Amino acid sequence: MFYLNELEEDALKEFFNMGLGMAAASLSQMVNNEVLLSLPQLRVVPYEEASLMLAPNRDEKLVAIRQIFKGELSGTALLIFPGAESLELVRTLLNEQMPLEVLMELEQETLLDVGNVVLNAFLESFTQMMSCQFEFEAAEYVKGSSRFLLAISSHLAAQQRALSANRSEEDERAFVLMMDFKTNGDGGAQHTLNGFVVLLFTRPSMEILKKELKVILGSFHPSEQVLS
Amino acid sequence: MDQKTVLVVDDSSLARMMVRKIFSTRFPDWRLLEAKNGEEALAMDGSGLQIAMVDFNMPGMNGIELAEKLMIQHPDMAVYLVTANIQERMQQKADSMGIGFIKKPVTEEKISDILRDDS
Repeated sequence: MFYLNELEEDALKEFFNMGLGMAAASLSQMVNNEVLLSLPQLRVVPYEEASLMLAPNRDEKLVAIRQIFKGELSGTALLIFPGAESLELVRTLLNEQMPLEVLMELEQETLLDVGNVVLNAFLESFTQMMSCQFEFEAAEYVKGSSRFLLAISSHLAAQQRALSANRSEEDERAFVLMMDFKTNGDGGAQHTLNGFVVLLFTRPSMEILKKELKVILGSFHPSEQVLS
Repeated sequence: MDQKTVLVVDDSSLARMMVRKIFSTRFPDWRLLEAKNGEEALAMDGSGLQIAMVDFNMPGMNGIELAEKLMIQHPDMAVYLVTANIQERMQQKADSMGIGFIKKPVTEEKISDILRDDS
């Protein structure tokens, strides 16, 4: 079973935070407003638990931007917004009073842009810390329950095969990261919105990830290689 | 007489390890103090501190809030905000306070630059 110790989890979070800094800077430029992104929490949990973290109410429809990546690390990355947070984010980012219909029309493309920037930043942080090469495919907008979004069966056939080769979903582990978006509105009012980033790796990718983390941590702290 | 001392404040143990390694291998004459958050940093006995390197994104008070307090406690200390997230507004605020910037990831060159500025 896949497991990260405290130090490995911390290291991964720090790498993601570095990547997020770049994402926040690009988002700020896009919307001409200061955007701060932070990751209060990272958990590595079974799919079932992950879907409950995303939405305690199973039937709730969530909006997600999904991006598939392939190469030495392969899997699926999702940026997920619970409830009405996605519309709220679009409203905050565009920082304008708009009728709801217009906002809803802009929702999909704005979220795709945001998703692209944020997910690419996450994936880039892997290429920066490790010697892993991979490519991302175009991001897509998906709507559905948390279970649907994580379900391997909701992926395209090729990705289904990669993610589920010879195993059942019960054994799977998802990386769930809570993410806060903070922006400054007019008059200095701060908005905070919550989203999630979920990373689903193929089994070989998980092993590569773990191995690379050990190497990196070992280079700072020789005794860590002996532990775990 | 006091040994040159640098304070590193970061909630990530990896980030602290990276800085510790750079100092221990390249600048061993410096003493390193470490804190995980603002509260811990402020509670430290900071006598002899020349430089503080403060992470921006931390639980509790953020790096700028901590920098403000540290600069009152240690008016002669140089404070650097360490962040991957350098945005114009934050940069302006830091500039106006006399805080320097180090872009994450921290490297040997970046530390060497600030030590040179400080001497």
